[in-house]
Amino acid sequence: MLMALTIGPMLGGVMAYIIGKKNKKARDYFASAVTIIEMGLLIYCSGLYLTGKNMFFTQKDLCGLGISLKLDGFRIILGVVAAFMWTMTTIFSKEYMAHYPRTNRYYLFFLITLGATVGVFLSADLFTTFLFFEIMSFTSYTWVAHDETKESLRAAETYLCVAVIGGMVMLMGLFLLYNMTGTLRMDELHEAVNYAIVLSPDNKLKTYVAGGCILFGFGAKAGMFPLHIWLPKAHPVAPAPASALLSGILTKSGIFGIIVISAEMFLYDYNWGMLILILGVITMFLGALLGIFSINIKRTLACSSMSQIGFILVGIGMQGLLGEENSLAIRGTVLHMINHSMIKLVLFICAGIIYMNIHELDLNKIRGFGKGKKLLMIAFLVGGLSISGIPMFSGYVSKTLLHESIVEFINIATPDMYGKFKFVEVIFLVTGGMTLAYMTKLFVAVFVEEGEKVPEERSKTSRYMNGQSSLALLLSVLVLFGLGTGPYRIMDNLAKMALPFMKGKSMGIYVDYYSFTNLKGSIISIVLGVNIYYFIIRKFLMRTDEDGKRIYVNMWPEWLDIENLIYRPVLQHIIPFVMALILRVFDRFADHVIYVLKSTLFKEVEPRRPLLYGNIFTHVVGGFIDRMVDLINNIFRKDTPVKENYEKKLALSIGHIIKTSRLTARSVSFGLLMFSIGCIFTLVYLVMVLLLHIT
Amino acid sequence: MTMKGMDWEMYLIKDIPIMFRPDALGMLFFILTALMWVMNLIFSIEYMNKEKHKLRYYCFYTLSLLSMTGICMAGNLITMYMFYELMAVVTLPLVLHEQSREAIEAGKKYIFYSMGGAFMGLAGFFFAYYYCNTLDFIPGGGLNVSKLAGNEKAMYVVVLLVIIGFGSKAGLFPLHGWLPSAHPVAPSPASAFLSGNITKMGVFAIVRYLYYIVGVDFLRGSFVHYIFIGLTMFTIIMGSMMAYKEQNMKKRLAYSTVSQVSYALFGFALFNRIGFTGGILHVIFHSFAKNALFEVAGAVIHNTGLKKCSDYKNLSRKMPVSMWCFTLASLTLVGIPPTSAFLSKWYLAQGALDLEIRVVSWLGPVFLIISALLTAGYLLSISLKAFFPGDEYDYPSVEKRKISIYMLLPMLLLSAGAVVMGIFAEPILRIAKLIAGSLL
Repeated sequence: MLMALTIGPMLGGVMAYIIGKKNKKARDYFASAVTIIEMGLLIYCSGLYLTGKNMFFTQKDLCGLGISLKLDGFRIILGVVAAFMWTMTTIFSKEYMAHYPRTNRYYLFFLITLGATVGVFLSADLFTTFLFFEIMSFTSYTWVAHDETKESLRAAETYLCVAVIGGMVMLMGLFLLYNMTGTLRMDELHEAVNYAIVLSPDNKLKTYVAGGCILFGFGAKAGMFPLHIWLPKAHPVAPAPASALLSGILTKSGIFGIIVISAEMFLYDYNWGMLILILGVITMFLGALLGIFSINIKRTLACSSMSQIGFILVGIGMQGLLGEENSLAIRGTVLHMINHSMIKLVLFICAGIIYMNIHELDLNKIRGFGKGKKLLMIAFLVGGLSISGIPMFSGYVSKTLLHESIVEFINIATPDMYGKFKFVEVIFLVTGGMTLAYMTKLFVAVFVEEGEKVPEERSKTSRYMNGQSSLALLLSVLVLFGLGTGPYRIMDNLAKMALPFMKGKSMGIYVDYYSFTNLKGSIISIVLGVNIYYFIIRKFLMRTDEDGKRIYVNMWPEWLDIENLIYRPVLQHIIPFVMALILRVFDRFADHVIYVLKSTLFKEVEPRRPLLYGNIFTHVVGGFIDRMVDLINNIFRKDTPVKENYEKKLALSIGHIIKTSRLTARSVSFGLLMFSIGCIFTLVYLVMVLLLHIT
Repeated sequence: MTMKGMDWEMYLIKDIPIMFRPDALGMLFFILTALMWVMNLIFSIEYMNKEKHKLRYYCFYTLSLLSMTGICMAGNLITMYMFYELMAVVTLPLVLHEQSREAIEAGKKYIFYSMGGAFMGLAGFFFAYYYCNTLDFIPGGGLNVSKLAGNEKAMYVVVLLVIIGFGSKAGLFPLHGWLPSAHPVAPSPASAFLSGNITKMGVFAIVRYLYYIVGVDFLRGSFVHYIFIGLTMFTIIMGSMMAYKEQNMKKRLAYSTVSQVSYALFGFALFNRIGFTGGILHVIFHSFAKNALFEVAGAVIHNTGLKKCSDYKNLSRKMPVSMWCFTLASLTLVGIPPTSAFLSKWYLAQGALDLEIRVVSWLGPVFLIISALLTAGYLLSISLKAFFPGDEYDYPSVEKRKISIYMLLPMLLLSAGAVVMGIFAEPILRIAKLIAGSLL
């Protein structure tokens, strides 16, 4: 049954693809049906669980290491939220994607990702989590890249790189963890880790390393600093339904993983809590800061997601710090996860509706679009107020709980920690104010300010979305609003369901959400937010253009982008370059050895060629002259080269000289010979005469 | 799991027995080889249509199967060595096939490295003949320790020589140079076979020598052990990095093979049961994935003539099925679950972490991870570009190429196999564990 929840949508995706080849309309309905059935099944399973049935699935043979799925309170919440979001976005996709190309591909991966996400949330061991996590990363890549514009491809590349690197580092963590404990089952992990630490104190360090690696992987998906880089880039370029899911629920799968390791590996661990808290505070503040500067509605929402993830991380960090008394932090974490998902669903659908109508996301261009569009305005307002933590809305409850947990720690903190946590509290409240400020910025721009020039046909048609999209938006808003109306009835019960997962002991103290102390935090945030909006956003982040109109400008310096400044140069250029340089030497090592040997020891000896002409003297001297002439030809006389073969010339002339001289020599010696013969004859004659004379 | 009654023994000269005795490991390698041989044969039917000298190609292609069967089935070192040398000779014409200048250069390089490597292996053969009780393959090895006493150092050096020598076939640094030269020039099915299976024979020979002749207990903890692990780890990184920087598709795949085969060697170098299991698994999975990748590259060359990695942009519109196969096989090599190579990496990393040598036990998995990232960089980037070329590409104008079923069938089977084996891994896992258990 649980396996069907994950495999079902995947098969559904494939079927939707096949159906879509024939009939697009049928495919749209089919996709909606799949998500609705998925949600129905999940709720049915939840019902079974709540009536006491043990919902556990394990299959040891599958995927080598075995797959196990489980259903409990926290998983039910996340699963149902995921299925609900998918249903709404699928319904909305029908209109939104109507004019997009390649919708078949979109639906294929849309549904596969649903299966994978549910798989992550239902997983009962970290291997299963990892398995579905990776599938989810890869399939959601196609969402970001869907438009295939330059920006979207670049953003998608960033997304995938972060996901792959995150996944691999996480795998490293799993290697270490499994090697140390011999299990990845979540329900055994806690004892196993403790046992390993008891066995050898060295393992304490190992757990931190393993935990850090796993945190890296999950944090990358959650958008945790410093791995948040993909978030503000991927959201604006993805189709709106996909952005809603990316931001609302896929980030939660990262959070889910972080909660698992926090609760199982590092339960009540002070150092770990501190680490998460610090990262959370940075993420929270940085996200809000980016959100204030952004002038693109979807980018602002993405930065807001990052900031809210920071809030959730603060909650997780506080769980570790507070030790056994951490139920407030747990409640805050869980509720903020739910709230944030629902809020982002509503807000991104709103942004999608705007984009669907005027194909713009720039605040200056979408200005005044929302005027007179009641449903849109109410939806946006509910979402905005909720995320800003205004009393009566759902976000208030979770933020109050998170705030309370910090206050609780301040009360029990040692004096040296007191100041630091006061600081955390201040940042918490300031960030709350900043949230309000950037949401106000969006709201004012879209619904209050006068638009530039609304195209004629747009202003006439009152229907800016069709019935089904309205239904999706309406349902989402109703659920979100409903959550806010019942802090005790609904939200406390939801939190109670999730307690066992995070090893919460009890519900903790009763929180009166509307007591003055609790309202105070919210009021501080509101006051701060209003001030930030009036004195920073309206003063410094807007400028008067030539026509005398106030426009929004992006004051964030272009170069200040951690991705372009550090990650890309280092990962794409510096490291590969240096590594390749070194390794290439080794790569050619044997070839070079062979080459050197060939040209020295094993050099082929050329047999002596007999000289064609001349002798060794002419060969050497003539050859030398020829080389010199070549040199001169190459350097000085390029145009009129000397084309004389001096070796040959020398050989010939020397040969000539030798020949002539030989001739000459011969003639001289012949003459001498003749002369000598003549002399001999003369001598003989003289001797004969002398002898005759004597006789 | 020796199969009595299947031994077949004859004497070449009085002292040199030729013996065949297939055991589980040999059978595993044989089945793998034969399977890939058939797959590439089917692929060749269409691919070789365009090529000349078909008869020669098929002849030597078949002979290479013969030689590899001999290696797998060999019952002693002599037989294996004989067929090992034969393999180098009969695969040479596959590399030379195009008869271009490049091909001849590559062929020369190939035969030089092969022969050089094999001669280094021969040194080990001589030592084994003198110091071992028997040259038959027996688990644990037949080293005569009393006879060796005093000469351990020499034996270590010789074992190292054997590793490097047989490693030349497996693409182990420093004698890996022939792979990037020989693969791009050979016909694609032949390079698939070279890369996917013939390299594995180098691995097989090393395993036979270390585990069945010398015995790992003798080597464990010695400097040979360290150097062997170091070499494999270095090759893993080096191959990936070179592949990352390479732009010719088949050359990139060749470098990828250098790296991936060293994964398997890394597992065998660990000398423990989990590592050995991982090594065997990786031999199988890599063979599937790499054959599929080379076949896709071959299909692309055959149908479009494109050879560069950058040419693969927008190719999914022309050849969707092929690119899907490419993507699946790439994911397998990167080791993304649930594809199969994830499992082998898991076992390799666990084996490494179990090692007593602290540095290696940490560095090994880290190297695996870095290499996996690089693998993602050089393989997935291609399929991403093929599927997401950017909006400037006008889709409707691209017409689909009709690809012969003889090409599609093997690559579909192989890439699907690479993924499905990961999901239903139990039978293979059991066999791998069985073999590992019988040795360690």
